[in-house]
Amino acid sequence: MREYFAGIWAARYFWMHLAMADLRARWRRSFFGVLWSMLQPLGTALLLAIVLARLLKQDIRSYAPYVISGMIVWDFVMAVSTGGALSFVQADAYIKHFRHPLAIYSLRTVIANLTVLGLASVPMFVWAAIAQPGNLGVTWLGALSIYPVLLLIFWPLITLLAYAGSRFRDLPNVMQLALQALWFVSPVYFGTKMFRDAKLDALVDYNPIFHLLQLVRAPLLEGKWPSAANFEFCAGMAILFTILAWLVGRKAERRVIFYL
Amino acid sequence: MNGAASISRISLSNVNLHYPSVAYATRSLLSMLGRAVGKGSRTPRLKDIHALKNITTEIKKGERVALLGHNGAGKSTFLKVVAGLYPISSGQLEVKGQIRSLFDISLGFEPDATGRANILYRGLLLGCSPRFVREREAEIVAFADLGEFIDYPLSTYSAGMQVRLAFAISTFIGGDVLLLDEVIGAGDASFMVKARARISELIQQSEILVLASHDLQTVSSFCERGLVFHHGELAFDGPTARAIAAYRRLTGLSNG
Repeated sequence: MREYFAGIWAARYFWMHLAMADLRARWRRSFFGVLWSMLQPLGTALLLAIVLARLLKQDIRSYAPYVISGMIVWDFVMAVSTGGALSFVQADAYIKHFRHPLAIYSLRTVIANLTVLGLASVPMFVWAAIAQPGNLGVTWLGALSIYPVLLLIFWPLITLLAYAGSRFRDLPNVMQLALQALWFVSPVYFGTKMFRDAKLDALVDYNPIFHLLQLVRAPLLEGKWPSAANFEFCAGMAILFTILAWLVGRKAERRVIFYL
Repeated sequence: MNGAASISRISLSNVNLHYPSVAYATRSLLSMLGRAVGKGSRTPRLKDIHALKNITTEIKKGERVALLGHNGAGKSTFLKVVAGLYPISSGQLEVKGQIRSLFDISLGFEPDATGRANILYRGLLLGCSPRFVREREAEIVAFADLGEFIDYPLSTYSAGMQVRLAFAISTFIGGDVLLLDEVIGAGDASFMVKARARISELIQQSEILVLASHDLQTVSSFCERGLVFHHGELAFDGPTARAIAAYRRLTGLSNG
């Protein structure tokens, strides 16, 4: 295992370059370029917030950051899970040419998407600071934990998906469907109170998406630290996926090249 | 991997490699339906491909080895096994020394970026630090000799210019074990001369060269030992001149 991670470290310029190349491709020849990653979620979230705040009788000032946080984290989950399942397939030319640990290709997907998330979260922080300045404080450091936490959860998860995705190319479609289902039962746009009022507490308390979102929402919307339960749930996922990825990878790692 | 004390060495004993059929046999719903509806299967069942059969050989430090054989004989597979890309099905494989493989020299090019930017990208792909690439940049630019085009996007290059740049970038860094697959032969006549000089320089720096090529002249000028592959088997192993003769005999070429 140590050797495997040493290989990832040795190839650091390689995968950092690939992640940067993905981002360059994303913003290539566009006038606003990088700005789009901030404007696009901000615009969509504002439109949504205006409509939903009316429908659900919420105060738009606090509800907008709720929607933005839900949307950008969800966009990340969606992009990284569907695209990530093809991490190895897309890197086939590299895999057939260089002998690097395969986890660098899933890492590349996660890093590129985390960068996009980082940019998209700038308007969220700004909005929250302006709309509810009372919540601004040290607890906001807790909100920043979302980035490393997402990395620790999604890197092994995407590696796992990519092993499977190289063999079963239907996986991105399956993931899309599964995520759609998860979206409906998660407090992404709808407040947790709605779930609890409907006696659907389990959908909140045992929902990984809820715990992930709380890392950002507790500090920004309530001025509180994320709860221990939030962190425990996230740590549990990271550990579970790492073990699974390791178990699958032991057998699958070397054989992936045959399926590309 | 790059321990200075270790002596480069490649050793294979009874190495077999199978490409599993599940990897390329289509398993789509459509093909299943087609098989169910169509009377009998017109497409033959695909079997595992036995690409390398019981290969035993040893290549020591200082050797320059050519791989000869018809298309599909196992030359490229052999190179990729040595490079550690394919997992062998059985047997033992030991490779010591830092490997530098040149299979696809234009891999990772970004057409929208300038030639200069691509030098950096390609260098990073080879595992160099940004600083190291920048130090060598002038040298690469000079070798590619593209004039002002080096600051133009790659998409404005002609095919030959792209090859020159790719060659210049891919060959500026060597390794202990050099694995080449038909890369000699790039650009116009004047560039060819330079390219050959650069390749021989790389070869001299390396401790082991394994070269797969159909160009018998190249083979005999660079290598003193030849391995002839025939349908996945090692048919001959010996001095280049005799290896070429064996290759000609096997493929039915006259001694002309």
